Amino acid sequence: MTSLATTLRSWLRRPWIARVGAVIALFVFWEIAARWWVDPMFLSPPSRVLMSLQAVFDTRGVPAALRITFWELGVAFAMSVVIGLVVGLAVGLQPFAQKSFMPIILLLYGTPQVTILPLFILYFGIGPASKIAFGVSHGIFPIIMAIVAGVQNIKPILLTSARSMGASRWQVLRHVIFPHMIPSFFAGMRLGMTGVLLGVLLAELYVSTAGIGYFTTLFTQNFDPTRLFGLIAVLAAMAIVLNEIVRRAEVHFSRWHAD
Amino acid sequence: MTGEAAIRIKGVSHHFGEESDARHVLALRDTSLDIVRGELICLIGPSGCGKSTLLNVVGGLLAPTTGTVEVSGKKVTGPMPHDIAFVFQENALFPWNTVFENVNLGMVFQGVPRAGREARARRSLEAVGLEDFAQHYPGQLSGGMRQRAALARALSLETGILLMDEPFGALDEQTRMILGEDLSVLLSRTDKTIVFVTHSLGEATFLADRVAVFSARPGTIKQIISVDEPHPRKPDFVTSEKFTAIRNQLYGLLHDEIRKTVAETGVTAGAEPAP
Amino acid sequence: MTPAGKAREGKLASRSVQAAFLVALIVLWYLATTRWGVSSILLPNPVLVVRQLWDILKSGEFVGDLRVTLTELGIAFAISATSGVTIGYLISRSHYRIRVLEPLFAGIYSVPIILFLPLYVLFFGLGPASKIALGATISFFPIALNTIAGFGYVDKVFVVAARSMGASDVQLFRYVLLPAALPIILTGMRMGFTVALLSIIGSETIASLAGLGHRIVHLAEGMEMARMFAYIAFVVAIALILNTIVSALEARGKRHT
Repeated sequence: MTSLATTLRSWLRRPWIARVGAVIALFVFWEIAARWWVDPMFLSPPSRVLMSLQAVFDTRGVPAALRITFWELGVAFAMSVVIGLVVGLAVGLQPFAQKSFMPIILLLYGTPQVTILPLFILYFGIGPASKIAFGVSHGIFPIIMAIVAGVQNIKPILLTSARSMGASRWQVLRHVIFPHMIPSFFAGMRLGMTGVLLGVLLAELYVSTAGIGYFTTLFTQNFDPTRLFGLIAVLAAMAIVLNEIVRRAEVHFSRWHAD
Repeated sequence: MTGEAAIRIKGVSHHFGEESDARHVLALRDTSLDIVRGELICLIGPSGCGKSTLLNVVGGLLAPTTGTVEVSGKKVTGPMPHDIAFVFQENALFPWNTVFENVNLGMVFQGVPRAGREARARRSLEAVGLEDFAQHYPGQLSGGMRQRAALARALSLETGILLMDEPFGALDEQTRMILGEDLSVLLSRTDKTIVFVTHSLGEATFLADRVAVFSARPGTIKQIISVDEPHPRKPDFVTSEKFTAIRNQLYGLLHDEIRKTVAETGVTAGAEPAP
Repeated sequence: MTPAGKAREGKLASRSVQAAFLVALIVLWYLATTRWGVSSILLPNPVLVVRQLWDILKSGEFVGDLRVTLTELGIAFAISATSGVTIGYLISRSHYRIRVLEPLFAGIYSVPIILFLPLYVLFFGLGPASKIALGATISFFPIALNTIAGFGYVDKVFVVAARSMGASDVQLFRYVLLPAALPIILTGMRMGFTVALLSIIGSETIASLAGLGHRIVHLAEGMEMARMFAYIAFVVAIALILNTIVSALEARGKRHT
């Protein structure tokens, strides 16, 4: 075996290098397919997409639409967290409320919300309000479920021992229930972010007369795959960054969690 | 003990990991043993002394670093499903099949033709007392019944040799006692050669024709004690003087080895011999 | 009162709260549209909605759109299920391949893939092909990931036991690996099905010429509120039925494991 082959083999032994290699191979395949096999009206090679990224940003209205979308995501997420926390605690801490309202919440969570997307737009208009509302409507449920679960699965022995040491109800809440609930809360937020991304982006794509949806429709109708992919790539990057932020926060705050 | 050797273990030793590896461990050291056809021999010793390793080597699941094993005159190079059947400590019954299907499947793997399977399955289930539970799933059975089913599966393969790796280890004391007595009865009716790994002194004394006591790691056979009592052994054998004497002898041999193991590794799990 | 009696009382109480909630909701809805002057452009009269629903069902108007949506769903799921299980199995055969590819799949799946809908529309057009392609793409991932998990982490003791009894490779796959992996794979398929349904209705809503999602949009644009609400109820019911069936199938496949 030549030394080159052995070096190559030892490099490939590391999974992350192989992963990067797989991704690069995919891009190469895409490049070749777009250049030689497929009509340029339908597919654009990554090299051209990369170079035309600037043109995407130069298109009038695109930077503003991107900024607004990012802002919508932030607001929707913040609202989801607050509402989810309040409802989750209210339902989780009170066994009766939990038994009564959880089935209703689960029912709502299970319905395909995408069917009422047109309704949201009718009610809230084509501006940011509807996108935020639809995002919140997707984001609160995982957070509520996670908080209820986090409160529910406290080992009763912990509560008993706190009470046996004379803790008041408020102290139990603050020093036992709250800290115990934190990892679940962050896990819920991670799923909540996924939901918010889905809700906001769905709403944005639906509204074809303003915002991101306007430009995706425009680029599609003009058969401009280069700028379309550039725009979508930027949005995908936005989604990845936001997901990663929440995921890291979860890892950081859950360090004590054994499960 | 006289009789033809069913299993010949010659100079077997085994280490895990490369010499240069930090986790290199010499589990078994130059072990030789002739196991007579039709006897039940117990392997007993402290944790990590290599008794399970030896069992796996004999059964062809592990290739030893040095030495050879011969079974019925043939050299062991891999699993020998027609000569050797296993009963593991961990529940190895497939949870998605009924007890009957589990027993049947063993024969499918071994290559028994369809015509003979059902009869053999029924026979082995009767032998372990599970004929009424054939259509149950493992999840519906107690631990003791599950190990009976595992035994039935091994019996249905009609091998000459049965290798049992702490089969009753995960069960409670009372279940172990019952299963031990039933195993002794079963033994008296067949002429299988059984190698039985255990931690329990009482179990070894009750079941074995011979007990091979292992030293601490790296393990080798320190001494072999004979138990001269015919099978099936009655429950009152346990209270006899002969039993107590043998058990005490085993305790004496083992106690130092166990202390040695604990001192070296700090491991206490399963180290103290059960009464 | 006995503990059992108390438990029953509690259950009754929470059930009544739920029932009361539902009834109150419907009553409020009715009053809002008839007495309190909420514009029918925003909220249609529930009685009208029921009448519209009845009309839709009786006339069979829903059949065309339902057929389009279900066909898209069926084909998309068929594609993602076969490719997901096959590719998942091939990856699971080597630990190296699992370590390389599994995080890649999980990473891609964490992005809302519906984002790529405009590209699919550009490539495949507004017809069913783009919905099928997107649905298949999205539902591929939970199926493949669960197949990898199912086959890749079969308890070693089962494999050892089977081999010790003389099982061949084919027998090992058929009698040990497949049954052991099946529960996890079935869960993945259920997730894939749910996600395929959602993405197909979603893409019909955003960019389509036919199908149930499109029908709702069409009615929204025509401000036919009552009929739109009726169709929404219909679609929710269909989704509920399909999900119940799929969950039941999953549970059946997971008995005794």
